[in-house]
Amino acid sequence: MKPTPLNVITIGRIPATVRERAQAFGFDDDCLQFAIASDLALDGRATETWVLVSSTHVVVIGTGENGETVGPFELRTATKVRAFHAVGSAFLQLQIDGLYVDVARYSNSLREPFGRAIGELKCLIEGAPARPEVLSRPSETLCTRCGLPLPSGGGGCPRCLRKQGIFARTLGLMRPYWLSIILLLLVMLGGVGLDLIPPMLQRMLVDRVLAPPADAALMAHAESIRLLIWILLGLVAASAGRMLLNIFIGRTSSIIGTRITKELRERLQRKLVSLNVEYYNRHSVGSLMSRVLYDVDYFQGFVTQVAQGFLLNLMLVLGIGAMLFWMNWRLALLALLPIPFVVAGTTFFWRHIYPRYYRVWDSQSKLSQLLSGLLSGIRLVKAFGQEAREERRFSQAAGYLQQSRRGLETSVATFNPIMGFVFGLGGLIIWYAGGRLVLGEMRLLGEPITLGTLMAFFAYMGMFYGPVSALSMFSNWATGFLSAGQRVFEVMDATASISDPPNPTRRAAVEGRIEFRQVVFGYDPYNPVLKGVSFVIEPGQFIGIVGKSGSGKTTLVNLLCRFYDPQEGKVLLDGVNLRDLRKEDLRRHIGLVLQEPFLFRATIAENIAYGRPDAEPAAILNAAKAANAHDFIARRPAGYDTKLGEQGAGLSGGERQRISIARALLCDPRVLILDEATSSVDTESEQEIQKALATVCRGRTTIAIAHRLSTLKNADRIFVLDEGRVAESGTHEELLALQGLYHRLVRIQTELTRIES
Amino acid sequence: MNEQPSPFSLENTLASVGVRRLTPENTTIFEGTFSLLHCAVRGDNLYRGVFAVLLFPVTYPNRFISLRYTGEKDKEHEIGIIEDLATFPEEAQHLIRRNLARHYKEYLITRIHRIRQEYGLLFFEVEADGHPASFVMPWRYDRAEEYGQSGKVLLDAFDNRYIIRDVNALSATERRMFTSFIYW
Ligand SMILES: Nc1ncnc2c1ncn2[C@@H]1O[C@H](COP(=O)(O)OP(=O)(O)O)[C@@H](O)[C@H]1O
Ligand SMILES: [Mg+2]
Repeated sequence: MKPTPLNVITIGRIPATVRERAQAFGFDDDCLQFAIASDLALDGRATETWVLVSSTHVVVIGTGENGETVGPFELRTATKVRAFHAVGSAFLQLQIDGLYVDVARYSNSLREPFGRAIGELKCLIEGAPARPEVLSRPSETLCTRCGLPLPSGGGGCPRCLRKQGIFARTLGLMRPYWLSIILLLLVMLGGVGLDLIPPMLQRMLVDRVLAPPADAALMAHAESIRLLIWILLGLVAASAGRMLLNIFIGRTSSIIGTRITKELRERLQRKLVSLNVEYYNRHSVGSLMSRVLYDVDYFQGFVTQVAQGFLLNLMLVLGIGAMLFWMNWRLALLALLPIPFVVAGTTFFWRHIYPRYYRVWDSQSKLSQLLSGLLSGIRLVKAFGQEAREERRFSQAAGYLQQSRRGLETSVATFNPIMGFVFGLGGLIIWYAGGRLVLGEMRLLGEPITLGTLMAFFAYMGMFYGPVSALSMFSNWATGFLSAGQRVFEVMDATASISDPPNPTRRAAVEGRIEFRQVVFGYDPYNPVLKGVSFVIEPGQFIGIVGKSGSGKTTLVNLLCRFYDPQEGKVLLDGVNLRDLRKEDLRRHIGLVLQEPFLFRATIAENIAYGRPDAEPAAILNAAKAANAHDFIARRPAGYDTKLGEQGAGLSGGERQRISIARALLCDPRVLILDEATSSVDTESEQEIQKALATVCRGRTTIAIAHRLSTLKNADRIFVLDEGRVAESGTHEELLALQGLYHRLVRIQTELTRIES
Repeated sequence: MNEQPSPFSLENTLASVGVRRLTPENTTIFEGTFSLLHCAVRGDNLYRGVFAVLLFPVTYPNRFISLRYTGEKDKEHEIGIIEDLATFPEEAQHLIRRNLARHYKEYLITRIHRIRQEYGLLFFEVEADGHPASFVMPWRYDRAEEYGQSGKVLLDAFDNRYIIRDVNALSATERRMFTSFIYW
C-alpha cells in the first residue's frame, strides 16, 4: 500500500540512515521544520527519498544503498518554489538565479502532501509565518480510516460508508412497493402449488381410469367415467387458476416495473441536470444517453425477474424436486444425473459470455455517439466534403456492433442446443430405468411403480428442466443487469454537482456587489487557471474585462455563476459567499449571455422567454428591441413565432447572439454578464446594442467581456486579465496612461481598424 | 503527383508563419549549472533551464519534440521544435532523451495478474516496468482512455498513468480479465 499523505509529512518516520546522513549536512532534529517522503528519485526510479527542510536549508536524501543526495540548497538563495507538474509525476522546484532547479520528484500519488509541503516552503522563503496545521490537516483525497481513494468532489469513503451492492440498491428502489411485492410473492407461491397439481391428477387418471393395475378392484364402468370427468374438471380448475394468477402476476409486475423505470429515468434526468459542467467535459453525451434510454430498461427486467423469473423458477425447481423425490427418490436421483454437467456448462459459459455483454453495450454506445456527433456536425462534414470518410467510420462502428453481437449470440446459439441435448439424456435415463421399474425389474431401484407414476414423473421432469435452464440463463441476465446497474448508479453517485448549502442565506433582493477574494481555481485542481484573483465590483457598475484568449475570462464567469467552486478563496455576492446561497436564488439574479449562444428547438419567442416562460408578449418585444434583435425578427414571415432549427439553425451567428442577449435581459437580472456576447455582431449593430444596453444596464451590475476594446470605453472600470491574474485595472484613460498591457492591446486594435477602414 | 512544390505552395507559406524548427545547424544543446539543459539558437538568445515535451507522444515518440522554458512571471514559452532527434549529435540526443525521461512517468504494464472490483473501484495487480505493482482506479469510463490503435492508458485514483501498449497482445486469460472490466 502506498503511504497515505497523512503519515508522509512526519518527522518521526524518517529512517535512521537518512537521519544520520542528514546530520552530515547539519540537519539536527531540533532545527528540522518538517520532512516529507517522496516515492521517486529524480531520474524516475521508484525509491523512497526524503526531503528534509530546516529553517534555512533543504536537502534531499535517498534511502538507497548509496543514498544519493540533492542539495543542500540554502533557502536564502532561492527566490521562489513551485510544483511543476509533468506527465504522470511532478517536481518540487526551487528558483535559484532565475532558473528553476529540480529538487525532488514525486509521483502523482503524492501531489496532495507535496502541495502542502510546497506551500510551507513558500512561507519559509517569503519569510511568512509557518502554518504547521496545514501539514497535519486530514487528507482530502484519501479516506483517513482505510486509506482508500475518495471519489473526487467529496461523497465519503465507499468502503467505510458501506455502500450496498447493485442488487441490494435495486431492491431498495422497490421499497415503496413492498406491499404489492409481498402479495406478488404469495400469489406466486400459490401458482407454484397449482403447477404441481396436474401431474398428480394425470397419475390418478392413468392408474385408476385408463390402465388400472390388474390386481386392483375393478371399478364399474360408469364410476370410471365419473372419475374421469372429475379429474378433467380438476385439471381445468388448476389451469384456469394458473391462468388467473398469471394474468395478475404479469399485470402487477408490469405496473411496478414501468413505474420504477419511469421514476429512475426521472431521477437520472434530475441528476444529469444537477451535475456540473465539468462532468460533461468528461463524459460523452452518447454514453449518458444510452444509460437513460436503454440501461434503465434492465430495471424493469429486474422486477419481472423477481416476479416471474428467478424466484418463480427457484420455487418451481424446489417444488418439483420435492415431488420427484417423494414419488421415488432413487429414480429422482437418476433424473438429476445431468445436473452437474448443466451447472458446469453454465459456469463455463457464463465466464466466457460475461465480457461479451459489456462489449455489446460498448459498441452500441459508440455507435450512437458517432451518430449523434455526425448528425449535429453535419454542416461541418459537408463543408469539408468528408461524407465518404464518415461513411467508413460509421461502417466500422456498425461492424464492431455486428461483431460483438454475433459473438454473443452465436455463443448462446451454440450453448442452448447442447444443454437441451444433455437434458434430453436425463429423460432417456428415466425412460429406461423407469420403464423397467414399471415392468417390475431393476429391483435395486426399489418397489415397482405404476405407469401413472412414471407418467407423472415425466410430466414433472418436463416442467423441471425448463426452470433449471431458465435459472442458468439467469446468470446471463444478471450479468447484463449488473453492468447496466453499475452504469446507472455511476451517474446517480456522481458527486460532481454543486450542492446547495444546508442552511442557505435567503436573499429576497440583491444589490449586485461582487467580490472575488484571493480566488484560486483550476479545472484540474493541480493546474490553476485563476491564480489568486481579487477585486470588488460595486452595485451598478459597468465593468469591462479584457485579456488574451485563454487568460481565464470565461473561467471567472463560470465561478461567478457557480458552475464551479473555487479551490481557494471566496466569491461573494452582496457580502455573502456564493456557497451559502441557494443555486436558485443566485441564478435568478444573474443574467448570462454565453460566448457560444445556445438556442433550443422552439420559436424565437419561446427562446427569448426561456428564463421567464410567463413573460408578457410586450416584455418579450422590449427585450428584443433592447438587444437590437427586434428588427430582424420582425422582418421574418412568422415574426416571433419563427420556429428555429437545431441549435438555432436558420439564424446568423450575430442574430443568435442578439436573441440570447434578449433572453438574459428579459429576466431582469441584477447582475448581467456578457461573455463576448457581441463578438459575431457587426460593428454597427454592436454600437446599437451598446447604446441600448447603456440604458438597460443603468443600475445593474454589468460585466462585459469583450475583444473589441472600443465597446468598453465607457466602462466604470476595466480589468485586464493575464495568465489568471488581474494584471491591471482602472478606467480606459487610466489604463492608457499606464502604458502597460491594455495600452498595447488598444494600440494593436487601432492599427487593425486603420487597416480595415 | 510528382510536381515540385512551388515556392508559393501552402507548405512553404505555413512554414514561414508556423513553428520554428530547431536543427543541428542552428541550435546547440548543452548541459549547464545544476545539470539543467541549455539551448543556444543562432541569431537568438541563449535559453537556460530548458525542458522537452513530446508533441505526439503516442504516434511519434521519437520525433516532434518541443523545447520550452519558463520565462518571466513563470510563463511557459516554446523555443522551437526538433523534428527529428536523430539528426542531432549523440551528446545532444542523450541530453534530450534524459530530459524527456524526466518529463514523462508512465508505467508500462506487461502482465496483469488480478483485477478485483469493489466499491466502484478496480484493484489491479500487475507487472509494470518489470516490477510487481498494484494500483486502484475508479471504475469509470473516463479513467481508461485509448492509447494509439489498440492500447489503453489507465489513470489510477491519483492520475498516475499505467499504459497497456496493445490490449490484443495480452494473453487470452489476461485479455478476458481486462476486457470484462475495461470493455470500452
Ligand atoms: N472545461 C475545461 N477544462 C479544462 N480546462 C479548461 C476548461 N475550460 C477552459 N480551460 C482552460 O482554462 C484556461 C482559461 O480558459 P477561459 O477562461 O475559457 O479563457 P478565456 O479568457 O478565453 O475566456 C484556458 O487555458 C483553457 O484551456
Ligand atoms: Mg472565453
